[in-house]
Amino acid sequence: MEDKLQELVVELLGDGAMEYFIGYRQGFEPSHVVPCFVTDKSEADRLIWGPLCLQNLSKYVLQARDLDGKVGLLVKGCDARAIVELVKQHQIERDKIVVVGVPCEGQVDPRKMEQVLGVSMEQVTDVEDAGDEFLVKVGGEVSKLGKEQVLRDKCFYCKHPTSFDYDYTLGEVQPFTIDSESEEYDAVEKLEELPLEERRAYWLKQFERCIRCNACREVCYGCYCKECIFDRTDPRWLDRTPLPRENEIYHLIRAVHLAGRCIDCGECERVCPVNIPLGRLYKKLQKDIAELFDYEAGMEYDTVPPLVDFELDDQDPFL
Amino acid sequence: MASESSDEGGNGYEPKILVFACNWCSYAGADLAGVSRLQMPANCRIIRVMCSGRVRPEFVVTALSKGLDGVLVLGCHPGECHYSEGNYFTRRRGLLLKNLLQFVGIEPERFQVRWVSASEGAKFADTVEQVTEQIRALGPNRPQGGMHSTEPGDR
Ligand code: SF4
Ligand code: SF4
Ligand code: SF4
Ligand code: FES
Repeated sequence: MEDKLQELVVELLGDGAMEYFIGYRQGFEPSHVVPCFVTDKSEADRLIWGPLCLQNLSKYVLQARDLDGKVGLLVKGCDARAIVELVKQHQIERDKIVVVGVPCEGQVDPRKMEQVLGVSMEQVTDVEDAGDEFLVKVGGEVSKLGKEQVLRDKCFYCKHPTSFDYDYTLGEVQPFTIDSESEEYDAVEKLEELPLEERRAYWLKQFERCIRCNACREVCYGCYCKECIFDRTDPRWLDRTPLPRENEIYHLIRAVHLAGRCIDCGECERVCPVNIPLGRLYKKLQKDIAELFDYEAGMEYDTVPPLVDFELDDQDPFL
Repeated sequence: MASESSDEGGNGYEPKILVFACNWCSYAGADLAGVSRLQMPANCRIIRVMCSGRVRPEFVVTALSKGLDGVLVLGCHPGECHYSEGNYFTRRRGLLLKNLLQFVGIEPERFQVRWVSASEGAKFADTVEQVTEQIRALGPNRPQGGMHSTEPGDR
């Protein structure tokens, strides 16, 4: 797959079909993969693909707004939803992007893997996809881990492992099974069933820990605002100090800003340095939007986002 | 509006409630209630907006998190918005926001949306009364030691 990818990128750069290509390359440690910007054919051999290519690269295509040419991008099925949304939200034109779809058989959640293995990711030297399991190398030894143990949450409910809208594709996904009975909204439902005070205590504890590093905002494809409401000084919506009260405002506002746009890429939760389960907050909105307005972000180009739309007979509890 | 109501809830607790009223219906409804000299509790601070659709969810979230006891959004009845469709958006947003607030543990009574037309002075007075009583019964939003304490020790 990597050979095919590298050849394709060489070809596309040579044709002038795109100005540069964004994919993944090896980071400083073997288990650490970082984004890679390939501007020259000679650099294409740095590109890699595997179960540790975690980042959603879609936000980078916004750079193409200022270019004459196009930008190429390696896109997992889930990340493709961000592209759909960016186009839908009029942030970029689809023909500014060359989408290279990659068949994804699941991504590793490093936190889960560290727990299962009992070692830090720095000691993991290789992770290879082997159908229903991953082959993980630590030191000289290879162990097998069932995918259900270490997959990222979103991979359990993956809706299309390959981008449905691509210009080039690197192939088809090989069928595999995950040995798990959990359902997409389990975590949200568990919280919904708690008494109100317990939910309050739960979120209070989470929000309190936030250091407001803004990583969740920076990584989110949907947070592309030139001037974010949290950076405004007049009016000032938010105090810079990460007081619990201010943190709550931060998280609730970001949640309403992403309502109907969050594509469940899980990036906010992944980058949070203090492990706040942000996914549950965004998943709650997703669930409601699916139930109330029958809408799922990033799945189609020609549907109208739910909050800029209405039906005359929408549910009305406000009489 | 009526004068400061007395200490009905015990302990001298009087909730502070923020009301957003749309200029064309609900604010006129409030006016009518006033002109008709209807009795209402004095817990509401009214902010006039041009349309209920103007009320961004941020307003509600910030008001509640900063310690107001409740937020009430009033708009024209569906189908009667001065701008034809503003309140249909309010309705969708209101639903989602209500659910979200509940999900993080904020009582649903603390954020309410109601439709009040310009001729419904009595409905305005009743709504304000009802909402105030509901919120009074709940007690202060996030009492001491909760999220809203700004004591340095609580950080
Ligand atoms: S809110 Fe989180 S999960 Fe949703 S799109 Fe943004 S980064 Fe992805
Ligand atoms: S938090 Fe809201 S205002 Fe800030 S960048 Fe994200 S969507 Fe824009
Ligand atoms: S990434 Fe985590 S700590 Fe940083 S602002 Fe977001 S929730 Fe807070
Ligand atoms: S003008 Fe009253 S709700 Fe729009």
